Amino acid sequence: MHIRLFATLKERAGRADIEIDLTEDITVAELRHRVGQAHPQLAELAARSVVSVNREFAFDHETVRASDEVALFPPVSGG
Amino acid sequence: MNSTLPTLLDITRAPIDLNALQTSITTPLDGAVVLFTGTVRGRTGDEITEQLEYEAYQEMAVAKLQQIADEMRAQFAGIHGIALVQRIGVMALGEPTVAVAVSAGHRGDGAFEAARFGIDRLKQIVPVWKRETRPDGSSWIEGDYMPTAADRR
Repeated sequence: MHIRLFATLKERAGRADIEIDLTEDITVAELRHRVGQAHPQLAELAARSVVSVNREFAFDHETVRASDEVALFPPVSGG
Repeated sequence: MNSTLPTLLDITRAPIDLNALQTSITTPLDGAVVLFTGTVRGRTGDEITEQLEYEAYQEMAVAKLQQIADEMRAQFAGIHGIALVQRIGVMALGEPTVAVAVSAGHRGDGAFEAARFGIDRLKQIVPVWKRETRPDGSSWIEGDYMPTAADRR
């Protein structure tokens, strides 16, 4: 699965997107965990970042599928 | 909700033309337009800011601007035109970074309140981030609002 990163997470990863292996459906909470396992430098940020699935906010108990568009980012600071 | 009312939503790298923005959302029914702009502040207390650089999750940001426009029309029935424009890229001191404009028949028809709501909501739920450059370096600014299920479309 392809995951898009923004702002602090992109900076920490050194890239704008990462890949994790995903064949089955998982929860958002599990997604955070797997991002941290695959990319340890992101573990602390992934645990507390905002998660979006298909361009909408997603929460820990909800499901992520391999085909979903997923992004991790810090609380927004636009304006 | 009237689909013929003008709604301008944009995440853009181009400088924001405030006159054009106002004109684009003003209808023959309007006698009042409230225009809010955010700008790059050079000093915050003793802290000096040299420039800001903004980035967006473009596709989601546009969807969230549409959600905010829908919320504004639902809450402020008297308003007509709406503009919600966030600029991204590098901006210098004093440049407009964001613009929210609302038109209405009269100044008491909710335009002030709707514009305030619009900018507050934009700063909560639109995925845009700013990177601040100071004399001693630069860093991403993180907001303090964590979205909830109520912030979904």
